[in-house]
Amino acid sequence: MVIKRRLNYISRLLLVFFGMHVVWYALYLLVHHPMLPSPLRVYQAMGQLGVGNIVVNVGYSLMRIFAGVLLALIIGLLIGLLMGRSSLWNKLLDPVVYLTYPVPKIALLPVVMLFFGLGETSKILMIMLILIFQIIISVRDGIKAIPENTYDVLTSIGAGPGQKFWHVTLPGALSVILSTIRISLGTAISVLFFTEIYGTEHGMGFFIMDAWLRLDYPQMYAGILLFSLVGFILFLLVDLLDYRFMKWRK
Amino acid sequence: MSSSRNNGLCVKELEVEYKSGELALGRVDFTLPEHGIYTILGPSGSGKSTLLRAVSGLLLEFRGELLFNGQSLREQDILIGLVPQNYGLLPWKTVKSNIRVAMKIAHPKGQDRRSQEAQIDRWLSAMGIQELADRYPLSLSGGQQQRVAIARAFAIMPSILLLDEPFSALDAITREALQQLFLEHWQANPTTALFVTHDVDEAILLGQKIIVLPSNKRDAPEIIDNGTVFGLEHGEKRSSDAFFAQIKRIRKVMQAKW
Repeated sequence: MVIKRRLNYISRLLLVFFGMHVVWYALYLLVHHPMLPSPLRVYQAMGQLGVGNIVVNVGYSLMRIFAGVLLALIIGLLIGLLMGRSSLWNKLLDPVVYLTYPVPKIALLPVVMLFFGLGETSKILMIMLILIFQIIISVRDGIKAIPENTYDVLTSIGAGPGQKFWHVTLPGALSVILSTIRISLGTAISVLFFTEIYGTEHGMGFFIMDAWLRLDYPQMYAGILLFSLVGFILFLLVDLLDYRFMKWRK
Repeated sequence: MSSSRNNGLCVKELEVEYKSGELALGRVDFTLPEHGIYTILGPSGSGKSTLLRAVSGLLLEFRGELLFNGQSLREQDILIGLVPQNYGLLPWKTVKSNIRVAMKIAHPKGQDRRSQEAQIDRWLSAMGIQELADRYPLSLSGGQQQRVAIARAFAIMPSILLLDEPFSALDAITREALQQLFLEHWQANPTTALFVTHDVDEAILLGQKIIVLPSNKRDAPEIIDNGTVFGLEHGEKRSSDAFFAQIKRIRKVMQAKW
């Protein structure tokens, strides 16, 4: 049953994937201009790129995303935990989060560049900035949503704070953390694109803009496809984590 | 029975106040002998759960004393098992790992892995839920979850076992089956136990003594000896004359104090 449903789902995905190419091809015939090459032409360009080239560019982009997400998770989890478990810290930090949350983080890009230069640091920091506020808020709310008596049995048999965190707080907050990452991942990928326009010769953002400047449209589209693939892989990864850690909800 | 005065759980002039200064639990005084079981009967709001929370160490601010075998309960390393009304299972852990986690926390330097697993299996089959070992709590019925909670409470081998209306959310048939199952295993492993309930029948079926908390917290609780019923075979209790006599007696106390 489960396998059948999964096969069903995958075949629907493939159908949509195929359908998009049909639309693309139709548009290509309609537009009939070098700025929109045919799917075949783009895949040919992708083939000419060489595996090494693709791996380096995709790898750089993935590395920046992972570093940014990891950093945001670690700091966000710590602050969220502090705010969720202590009302004093919540009172202190809540206005800070409340005031900084609506600031469009992408607008901070020039500031981050000024302070941290054009290298990897500013790119990773930007991704972290996008994610961290959402993570803080959702971790805090996730922890607050755990009923206080969930801890009772473990407390009465003498569990320490570390054991309570590991067995109750973290797993209890994990579902909100995962859904937050899923939601903010899209934004993080867009920001990644911006940060890869400057100060680097690797990464999918650089690759796409470089092809665009050289008027090499097939390669530009190949880059966009690969970039989408990066996003797709990341979503798949979150789904996988969700499947692994959220089994108990079904 | 002079030893019973020192041995066991001694609740001495215990009184709990809310922050507002209102009484959460009126003064209670009793000694539960080691390996004994008392039921605590009271209307809602009479402080039954508060009493358990104080004994379990979840509530730290109270007047009076809690002693175990003559010494302060808090100053000793006494293992306390708790079966809450909502079962208290961690939803993100399977049945088996719920029990395993509790055992590991309760006995950090305890048994090796294999004997621990054997212990878990033994209690799962004692509660008739071996086949649920790898299921998650949210996929179980209330009765099944309560069986897991009881298996866990017994498996950690506590010195004191506290049960807070464990069967109150279950239907009558499941409740009777679990009362019997619980009592059988308690008799095989007689842990010093306090059983809180608001059900008169349950209080008579499971307690050697019944502590009836009044609804007016200024009144003293009534402690009723229940040895006659408790000594009977579980299956015969409900139809015995002693059982009905106890019901009458408790009804009278309830009329006066509830």
